[in-house]
Order: sequence, then structure tokens, then C-alpha cells
Amino acid sequence: MISLRDLTLKNFHEKLVKKEFLALEIAQAFFKYIKETDQKINAYVNLLEEDALKDAERVDLLIQKGEDLPPLAGVPLAIKDVILIKGHLATASSKMLENYRASYDSTVIKKLKEQNAVFLGKTNLDEFAMGSSTENSAFKTTKNPYDLERVPGGSSGGSAAAVAAHIAVASLGSDTGGSIRQPAGFCGIVGLKPTYGAVSRYGLMAMASSLDQIGPMTKTVEDASILFSAIAGGDKMDATSQNINYGEELLNPDFKKVKNLTVGLPEEFFAKGIDKTVSAGLDQVIKEIESLGLKIKKISLPHAKYALSCYYIIMPAEVSANLAKFDGLRYSPVNGVDRKNLDLSELYKQNRSVGFGEEVKRRAILGTFVLSSGYYDAYYNKAQKVRSLIKKDFDEAFKTVDVILSPVSPTPPFKIGEKTDDPLEMYLSDIFTIPINLAGVPAISIPVNNWNKISPLPLGFQLIGKHFREVDILGLGRYYEELK
Amino acid sequence: MDSNINKETLKHLMELARLEVGGDKEEKLLKDIKSILSYFEELQSLDTQNIEPMTGGTNLKNVFRGDEERENSFRGSGAELFPESQDGFLKIPAIFKEKNAQ
Repeated sequence: MISLRDLTLKNFHEKLVKKEFLALEIAQAFFKYIKETDQKINAYVNLLEEDALKDAERVDLLIQKGEDLPPLAGVPLAIKDVILIKGHLATASSKMLENYRASYDSTVIKKLKEQNAVFLGKTNLDEFAMGSSTENSAFKTTKNPYDLERVPGGSSGGSAAAVAAHIAVASLGSDTGGSIRQPAGFCGIVGLKPTYGAVSRYGLMAMASSLDQIGPMTKTVEDASILFSAIAGGDKMDATSQNINYGEELLNPDFKKVKNLTVGLPEEFFAKGIDKTVSAGLDQVIKEIESLGLKIKKISLPHAKYALSCYYIIMPAEVSANLAKFDGLRYSPVNGVDRKNLDLSELYKQNRSVGFGEEVKRRAILGTFVLSSGYYDAYYNKAQKVRSLIKKDFDEAFKTVDVILSPVSPTPPFKIGEKTDDPLEMYLSDIFTIPINLAGVPAISIPVNNWNKISPLPLGFQLIGKHFREVDILGLGRYYEELK
Repeated sequence: MDSNINKETLKHLMELARLEVGGDKEEKLLKDIKSILSYFEELQSLDTQNIEPMTGGTNLKNVFRGDEERENSFRGSGAELFPESQDGFLKIPAIFKEKNAQ
């Protein structure tokens, strides 16, 4: 029997087609393994065993009938709990949605269902995707599988941990300021944030609508290409999404083309303030990429240092608007609120005060402030202009390079509780990932090859591409990981 | 830019956002917000006089569907998943106080 730990999206399909195993027996094995392992890790908030086994069985029937199988048929996936699967709980790891059952499938789920993929369960996150450690979940704290006293990163910490602990073959996360890439880096897996508009946001609970993207979290770059290819595409239900023809190269990159890419190193990202181990990892990566024959040159992103401020004005503003719909009446009642003798205004206040956690409230208040009369121009409008400057930096840089290389996180995974007292310190974990969302470009976090030789904890690095040039960062990523 | 946010401002914001933090947590919230806002001071030094604000994540414009009549197939869907529902409507507790108690 194959070890679940050795499964990838690629080899799962190959073995399934060769009838080396049944989809049902693998799904059953995963649920057994989850029950043995997840108490320690807390990656999942909800398991979907009944449906998963039914769907796996259906795939086995298709195989029996000799039908052609799509690439993701029967594949056991974990889904971040902000992505809706019809009929199932979708909590955003918040008390506000503790009892909410999704009334429709998100487009990405619809696409995966068309391929007969199997959903093992919904994964834990920082409440409403707000956080960088998954410590803001209202239900449980997910642990880093490589060190149970450390965080898996966030906000897609559950999705990252599930893949790293091999209790899913791959997962979907969402990324607004780094929430796929940073946890991928912390858990030693691959995480791709697509170009804004490459993947439909229909059915993703909105955090910041001008920044959010759903993306794959996988064991290999090849798997990320496969899963990205399955979920990408324009959708009439998401007016910001676009149809892009990525061509053959998305799944089968041409090394000759990859070799001709020029890689830029932004001087602002390699300045002091980065942990020594992270630096050592980056140095190794630079050497490895040079060994592939690619040219490397220094570039500048002069406004990158303003990205944190810019983001923490724009994102809370959009958050305060997007979370205004949660009143404890529309989607799910809030446990613990006594409704008797409360008028509507009081009821809203009670529901929102009990239903939302501290970080959510902090961002909602901050957002309300920057949008309020008298402050809008100085903060929100100003931040939108700064955002233009940050995007322009990338446009300029991409005139002379094709791909940008940078760290993902300034530090290795930190200890649980280490950064929870000072919100600003937590926000600083995302300094390398935030500018990317502001500009809307794609970026992927890839584990440093053989990181365990230079660090006891996982190390990742980031490749940033031009708009809709996922082909470049996935192509380079694939040749990089083959060096291992 | 005077981000002199104080207890009064916080009270106003909580009213606007329809939420409260417990009394003992208010001081920390105010402190955290002040520290975050002072971090934003750095943006003031940037010259953005002739810069167009970036209003969203994409340059797509006027993404409309044709003005055609169509069936709304979503009406009532999901109501059966709500803790209490009836005929496609969600049942929630009465939200208006009785003016004249009967």
C-alpha cells in the first residue's frame, strides 16, 4: 500500500489510472490518518467524510466503466474555511458564522467538482482571514507540523499544515497580503497567489475585494501548476476575473525559455533586518538559480517600504465594508447572545461584539476610521495614490527583468504566542508579501532546496512575476525544485 | 495630519461599526490603534500630488452583461440550511419592540 506521505497530485492520478489503488481506499486511509494525527496539529475545523467517501466511490465506478479521468479525479483536497462548499459549514473560523451552511458552491469548488475531486474537509484559518499565524481563529490554534510549539503561519495556516503533515494531498488557500505564501514558507510547502483576476472570487468570503485571490497550496511546484490550471479562468459571477490562455507551457514549461528569463533582486528586500538563516537560504537559492544559467540583476522597488502602511489603510477599509453584512441574523445566529429585550441596533451590537474576535474588531474600527468624514482624504485617498506608486515600481522593474526573487518572511516560523501582544509586530511578518497584492502581480512561495541542511525550521523564498505570467514563475520554480 | 484619536473618537467609531469591546479592552484597543496610525505618518512625506489613485485591483472597465430579462433562480435557496426557515424565508426573532404592550 502506498504511503499517503508520498502522494502528489501528479502521481496520484498516474497510480489511480494504472489501478494501483482505489480512490475510495485512499480516501478512507486519509480519514483514518487524519483521526490519528490532527489532534496534534488542528489543521481541520470540519471533516466532510460522508460526501468524500461517496465522491471517491463515484470515481472508482467511472474507472470501472473505462471512462477517461480528469487530472484531479479522486484527489483528496483540503479547503480553507472561507471557500464555500454547498450544504456544508463555512465558518471563516469565526463565532459569527459558527452555524452557517453554504447555500451555493464557489466557482473554484464547482470546477473541482467537475473533475470529481474529493474534499476531505475545511481547514482552520485566522478569523475572517485576518492574521499571519492562525492564532486568531475563534476555535483552535493550528500547530506547525515541523515544530508543534510554533505557528504554521497565516491566515491559511490550516491549509498549509494539512499538506505539510500529509493529511491532504493539496489544499486551497486565499491570499490578501501573504496568507498563502507566508504559511507555505513556514510549513515547507509551495503556495501560489495568482494574478488578481486569474481565479474567480465567487464563493470566497470577501476580506479585501481589491486584493483577495484563491490559490493552490501543494507539495511541489508541478502540483501547483496542475491545481492552478484547474481553478483558473474568467467567471461571469466575478466581474474582476479574466480568461487567460496560458498555453502548453503552464503544465509543460520550456526550459530553453526559462533559461532566458532575467531575475531581479530588489535591493530594498535584501537590506538589513532579515534573520541570518533566511539570508543564508536566499544566498543558496541565488547560487542555484545562477547554476541554471539565468541572469541575475539588481533592481529597485523604491516605494516598497510604504507598502505596509498603504495596505493597513486600504485593507481594513475594505474589510469594514465587507464585514458590515454580518449582523448575527442573516447567515447564522451567534451563540451566547440573549436576544430578548434588545432593539435592532442593540442586537446588531451584541451579535457583532460577541461574534467577532479582537483582531477583526481592530481592523473594522481602523477601516471605519480611515473612511470616515474628515479623515478619508488624508488616509484612504492618500493610500490609494501610494498604491499606484507601488504598482508603478513593479511595472518599471519588469521592463528590465522577467521575474523578481525575494524572501517570503523576514524570520523563520515564530513560537505560538510570541507576537500576539503587539499587532504591529505581527503585521511586519508580511512586509515581503504585501506589495505583491497591492500591485496585483502573481507570486509563489517555494521551499529552499534541502532547507533542513541549513535550518531546523522550514525556509521558503518568493518568485514574483508579471501580470498573468504565472507560466514564468511556475516554470522557473519547477526547474529549481528539480535541482534538489 | 492630526490623527488625534481619543476615547470620544473611539466611541463614535464603535457606534458607526455597530460593535463594542469590553470596557477593560478599550484602553488597549485605543493604544494599538494610535500606534498603528502613527506608523502611517510616513505616507505624509510622499509626494502624491499628480498621482491617480488606484481604485481597485484591476484595470477592467464596464464589465456588464447584456440588459436581458432572466429568471432569478436563487430565490429562497439556502433557506433550508438556515436554523429556522419557512417557505424560502429565514425565520428570525422579532426585531421591533412592541410600542403598546398587549
